[in-house]
Amino acid sequence: MLAQFKLGKSTVFYLFAAPFALLTIVMGLWPIALSIQTSFTDSYTALSPDPVYVGLSNYIKIFNDPVFLKSAWLTLRYTLIAVLLNLTIALFYAMFLSSSVLSRGAWLFKLCCFLPVVTPDVAGFIVWKWMYSSDFGAINAMLNAIGLPDFGGVSSVQTATIAILIAEMWYHVGFYIVIFLANFAMLDKSLDEAAMMDNAGFWRKFYKVTLPQLRPAITINMIYALIQFLKTFTVVVVITKGGPGTTTNFISYYAYRQFDQAQYGTATAMATVLFAVIMVLASGLYWYSQRRDWR
Amino acid sequence: MKLNALMGATALALCTTTASAQELVVWHDLGDNGIAWFDKMSEVFQKTNPGVTVTSVSFPTDQWYGKSIAAINTNTAPDLIYNNYERVIRVVNQTGKIKDLTETFGAMDDVGFLTESDIGVATYNDEMIILPVQRVQMGFGIRDSWLDAVGEEFPETWEDTIRVAKKFVEEDPDGNGRADTYGLALQAANPRDLIHMLDLYTFGAGLRHTLIDPDGEITIDQPDHKAVLIEFLKTFTEYGLVSPDTITHSFPEMYQVIEGNRAGMFRVGDWNVKKWDTEESLNGDFRIGEWPAHINGTENAVVIGGMRGVAVPENAPNLDLAVEFAKFMLSKEAQAASLQNVGAAVRGDFEIEGLSERRLYFAQPKHTLNAYDFPESVHSFYPELEAEFHRELVEILVDPQDDWDAYVEELADRMREKRDALMQ
Repeated sequence: MLAQFKLGKSTVFYLFAAPFALLTIVMGLWPIALSIQTSFTDSYTALSPDPVYVGLSNYIKIFNDPVFLKSAWLTLRYTLIAVLLNLTIALFYAMFLSSSVLSRGAWLFKLCCFLPVVTPDVAGFIVWKWMYSSDFGAINAMLNAIGLPDFGGVSSVQTATIAILIAEMWYHVGFYIVIFLANFAMLDKSLDEAAMMDNAGFWRKFYKVTLPQLRPAITINMIYALIQFLKTFTVVVVITKGGPGTTTNFISYYAYRQFDQAQYGTATAMATVLFAVIMVLASGLYWYSQRRDWR
Repeated sequence: MKLNALMGATALALCTTTASAQELVVWHDLGDNGIAWFDKMSEVFQKTNPGVTVTSVSFPTDQWYGKSIAAINTNTAPDLIYNNYERVIRVVNQTGKIKDLTETFGAMDDVGFLTESDIGVATYNDEMIILPVQRVQMGFGIRDSWLDAVGEEFPETWEDTIRVAKKFVEEDPDGNGRADTYGLALQAANPRDLIHMLDLYTFGAGLRHTLIDPDGEITIDQPDHKAVLIEFLKTFTEYGLVSPDTITHSFPEMYQVIEGNRAGMFRVGDWNVKKWDTEESLNGDFRIGEWPAHINGTENAVVIGGMRGVAVPENAPNLDLAVEFAKFMLSKEAQAASLQNVGAAVRGDFEIEGLSERRLYFAQPKHTLNAYDFPESVHSFYPELEAEFHRELVEILVDPQDDWDAYVEELADRMREKRDALMQ
């Protein structure tokens, strides 16, 4: 009787869940599968009813393309710097915001941090582009007003990556701060008090007591940031278009350019490589963070 | 019984309506101006083809490609597609289902206004893939008031252009008291944008090929070509005549520079003039002419940068009617509507009233015209070769050379190697 009840309950559950599961498969997995399939076809026949399959030739082509290899290196380097910078700043900013010293004004800072996250990214990046303009940009106007030299912004090879890193940080960091703040709110205060009684210094307390308890937030933020920055696209489209030269020609943008040139096979091969890299790195990071003893 | 009769009559009436009413669907990328043009043509076409309506749908260019290719390949094609010749070539290459209009064109009487060059541009792999409908002319524009302010005339040569451009940078031609003006507005963000600018320099100077000639010879290190290419690269890197942000500028940013009154010299397409004549934009404060002459003895020109035309998919739902409409697009009425709404046409043998001096410049051309060479119609490997050329140029703009001459020689050698590899 009990078994029958359980089966019945499960059946109802599966019946209700089935449409959503089906939708997830159709809407989520099907496009990915199609994209991977396209990466094995000749670009000129990719959209035809009988595409010509060319095996791994698109993959061989992109791995022999120096622009793609440079693009892959630029993407990885940018991601590494962006993840570290964003999470470090978000962590210490969240620590500052959760401090009891700031009990009254904290909401204002939180609001200011989070507003960019809910701002449409294109609109935000257009404003950044204007601010970086060497003709009428606010940033150079401010620098000049205090007697400092011009910032090259997005027009200089030396500063273009920094410029979009700053713009992206403005957009993303608020999200990471919110995740950290949620974790900070759950910290066990008795551990802090015990550390204080043991005369542990700030850094020792931070490293041995606070940081281990922030493991959930760090894991979520790192994985999210990794995915976000490996896929960096909108900021490039809006502000730099891959330039100057190929300084910000990250994989997503390069694949998009290939797609725009009707090179569907190579474009989807690039997208598939990026997808694989994201999956491996994100899974590896998750596995490592679960396995590691943080104390 | 009465009810049955009524239902029968209704069904018959519905069938009759369905049978006589036909809708032709056209896909293009001309935006609102294009939609207005097709609406006007639809009105006129209906007079001789009662019950036929023409519905046009405008897509952003990149979506137009994908949608056209996918629809034609899956037998859900529109009746007609409309775009630049080189874009239709891409559709031909990816579908193989664009109707050869050679016979159709051969049977048309009133086509004397089309030049051999126009017809050549419409032909790919010995098939006429489009009926040419609009020449895309691009001239050299200069702010009239700025020329007056610096006491100069419309520049004829490249040396004149450099001199005037420097004055535009240094002499505050807009009189606002700020050093915020540039000599030229260009763009370089996307490789295709950059090569487009080089095409204007090259064909405007009267040369015939930007990169490769019909025999497959790389041309960029031939003396005249090299001279133009080096000056082009120096415009971006050494002369200080363009905004430093130009290397990240694409079309929208280039237009912001022009329409924001920050550059004195710029490309003027025939489709730009209508807007730039209005108060909201340049208010007609610009003059149009041929591109500057770089080479002694070579005639400089306004550039025909493309040919827009209409193509008919072989699997169009209303194939015969679609061909009829394509032919109609070369009629005086359709061409007049084209000039009025889009600013371009291939014929001018009709009354043109109310057009500004600048619009007449393109509508009834009296200047030298030099058309792009469209190497993709001769060399199937050209798109890949051009992509490589683009990449080289984009890289070098941020790495200025001391010896441009040696750089171009080496670049030409690399292009030859690439060409040879692609030809294998």
